[in-house]
Amino acid sequence: MGEAPVLRTALSISGASCQGCAKKIRNALEPLAGSTELVEVNLEAQTVALPEGVDVAEAARIVTETGYPAEAIAEPGAESGSCCALKKTTSCCSSKAQEEIYKPYEPAAEAASATEVPADGDAVVLAVTGATCASCVNSIEKALMSVPGVTHAHMNLADNTATASGDADPQALINAVESAGYGARVIEDPDAADDRKQEEDKKQYKVLLVKMAISLGLGLGLMIWGMGFGSMMVTGANQLTWINLGILTLGVMVATGGHFYTGAWKAFKHHNANMDTLIALGTGTAWLYSMVVASVPEALPEMARHVYFEASAMIIGLINLGQALELRAKGKTSEAVRRLLDLRAKTARVIRDGQEQDIPVEEVQKGDRIRVRPGEKLPVDGVIAEGSTRIDESMLTGEPMPVSKGEGNEVSAGTLNTHGSIIYEATRVGSETALAQIIKLVKKAQGSKPAIGRLADKISSVFVPSVMLIAVVSALVWYNVGPEPAVVHMMVAATTVLIIACPCALGLATPMSVMVGVGKAAEYGALIRQGDALQTAGKIDLVILDKTGTITQGHPAVTRVHAVDGDEKRLLALAAGLEQHSEHPLAEAILARAKEDEVSVEAVTGFEALNGKGVQGEFNGETVRLGNRRWLEAEGLPVDALEDSAQTITQEAGTPLFLALGQQVLGVIGVADAIKPDSEAAIRRLHDAGIKVMMVTGDVDATANAIAAKAGIDDYRAEVLPEDKAEVVSEMRGKGYTVAMVGDGINDAPALAAADVGFAIGTGTDVAIESASITLMRGSLHGVPDAIEISRATVKNIHQNLFGAFVYNSLGIPVAAGLLYPVWGILMSPILAGAAMSLSSVTVVTNANRLRLFKTSHTPAHSSEKQEEN
Amino acid sequence: MAAFLVNATGVALMAAIVWWFWLSDSGKSTAKNEEHHH
Repeated sequence: MGEAPVLRTALSISGASCQGCAKKIRNALEPLAGSTELVEVNLEAQTVALPEGVDVAEAARIVTETGYPAEAIAEPGAESGSCCALKKTTSCCSSKAQEEIYKPYEPAAEAASATEVPADGDAVVLAVTGATCASCVNSIEKALMSVPGVTHAHMNLADNTATASGDADPQALINAVESAGYGARVIEDPDAADDRKQEEDKKQYKVLLVKMAISLGLGLGLMIWGMGFGSMMVTGANQLTWINLGILTLGVMVATGGHFYTGAWKAFKHHNANMDTLIALGTGTAWLYSMVVASVPEALPEMARHVYFEASAMIIGLINLGQALELRAKGKTSEAVRRLLDLRAKTARVIRDGQEQDIPVEEVQKGDRIRVRPGEKLPVDGVIAEGSTRIDESMLTGEPMPVSKGEGNEVSAGTLNTHGSIIYEATRVGSETALAQIIKLVKKAQGSKPAIGRLADKISSVFVPSVMLIAVVSALVWYNVGPEPAVVHMMVAATTVLIIACPCALGLATPMSVMVGVGKAAEYGALIRQGDALQTAGKIDLVILDKTGTITQGHPAVTRVHAVDGDEKRLLALAAGLEQHSEHPLAEAILARAKEDEVSVEAVTGFEALNGKGVQGEFNGETVRLGNRRWLEAEGLPVDALEDSAQTITQEAGTPLFLALGQQVLGVIGVADAIKPDSEAAIRRLHDAGIKVMMVTGDVDATANAIAAKAGIDDYRAEVLPEDKAEVVSEMRGKGYTVAMVGDGINDAPALAAADVGFAIGTGTDVAIESASITLMRGSLHGVPDAIEISRATVKNIHQNLFGAFVYNSLGIPVAAGLLYPVWGILMSPILAGAAMSLSSVTVVTNANRLRLFKTSHTPAHSSEKQEEN
Repeated sequence: MAAFLVNATGVALMAAIVWWFWLSDSGKSTAKNEEHHH
């Protein structure tokens, strides 16, 4: 051929976050692609592009073995002989065939052991206890990665779960986490695990409060006693008392803060250091020093015979208090998922052998007929077999108005039957239901870490040992150049540095905000697949919209009815009378409108369809015609009086259909694939947010122009084949835009995958759209600005948290080391450091919780236009 | 003498921290792991 091979996005990967990872992937794929130059790794989109013709399944296997779980993204035409490949159009493919084509790569069962591709189902999820900070996250991820067979490990501090992909033995994973100093158990039933976790958190909260009360009680008691009745200085008279109090303090420290010491020891054994290390060293140093003072006061200068038992006890008390508050606030952040979980019905009324019986929802099988009465929740997904009703789907889609459903319509688990009694047939049960998938998606996304969070983790992994060095350096400086009593100052400075520098705020900053942000987006009907999408969505400056089904309804509808004599009902009645004999999509649109306007259809006989002209029939002995202008004019029926209306219809990208009875033209009906009622407003919101909006469509220029003008779109590309949409996306990305592509998840899959953020517009039941990073469950474009606004708010929140955590540490450590002493004579007390440390975590969690109150500029509750739509 | 002992202990402590967390075999291998992971 002589030309450079065309690269196509072939794999979706995970876990590749740096150029080193990209290089590894390129090298691994070199034998297959022919050259590393022909392997393009997109770290942002987590995709790999390969030359056409490369064995994608083999490539997925190789990349997975390299340590980055990979799945093949197939494309239209990927299968030889597929109609799409032949005709270069997707319209010829049945959606089922397309679903097959876009099915993610799944290894054949027999080859599974050799070519394990860790899909979600293969990952082992562990509930982890004892993890408190960013360093713990690192230790746990490291421990999991060291287990043979693990290809990817990820710890989520926000909900204390760790996920390990690969084919490792679950027990080996548990052992690895335990030997790193943490508790772990496999989560087999996520639903039961949620309930269990809630119970455990409640119990843990109480335990922490009791521990806090004991240690703070002792600390405060010692302080009051020391200041009021005696002195914190050891003298011959009180030496024995202090020794006894020291032993008591040690007992309280072990009882209320024992987990810090065991955690620190286990981490130390693995050459790790974490928050426990700092607390254990800080409180241990203070206690040990005090015990030396109390036991052999004569070994130290008189001024240095000060004890700090109260500091050790109070630090542990304050940190326990901080952890209790944090636990409470963390519970609130996962409310979005809990709300979804609460949507599940517990029982279903199944009709078996003609008998209705209530059975637990877990026992419902596919094909069961289920009765749902008004006011009841639907237990599983299915298709209505008898009856009609209105279903409130707001809990799933954010769509506020109940939707009318009748026989043959799909219904989803978790939605509410508001009106009539229906019988429906179960089509998806258990973990297959849309609700179960939504819960799974939201949980997964809440646990994922955007790039910004990975940076924080990297920093904190070297943070704790560095703080230990700083503590030793500041101790030496105080000893050598500090004022007397130098030993006391040295001990205080080192302890305070160790205590204040805990990186818990740093570890919580990102996951907390992601958790709330993803939950908030789900509330608005936007399902975010990964934390990265949440971060990138905020940077979008160009939104490319597919036309059909995205901006428009996706099917023709009557947009205008104009009768010469003003009697629009009669016009519709005659048109519908004619069209009831036709099966043309335009006829369906007219009949739908007649039904909607409750027009009684006239009885037209002698129906005849005239190709390229229109339709005609007989009504009361006269000929009734409905068709295009050219035909009517050729029949000697001038339509000049309707010129303005016809022009308006054309400008709106519609088709004007003129109706004549006998020799009299009665009016014109405009039929078009109408713009969704709220598309214009959604596009305006994007503009308000400073985002450029572009449309790509396969339509001819005139139609595209009309739609673009009406919807307020800045730019458009007409006559673009579905498979070329991805190239438009790449072109715009090449121009420097951060591009969001919005389309339906099947036809537009390559374009969605090529964009920085792909938005798939689906319906409530259409949640398993693999190619998009964000799925909009509501059919409305408002989901795009909603998701962008939530993303911006979340990223801002993460920045605030990280900024706060960094500022706290970078100011706190020098102050604790005594930097203010030479100027103002201030040396921070270790107790104050403990309080500040606890406060920093609580502040971060509280700030993330603030996001829960966030409202987009257009809340579903205000969308009155949807009422009209239905 | 006391000053010497305190300073020497401090320096030894720092060396031990650097060695234990960064330079020892396990420290190196965990660092490698981390590099692999990120």
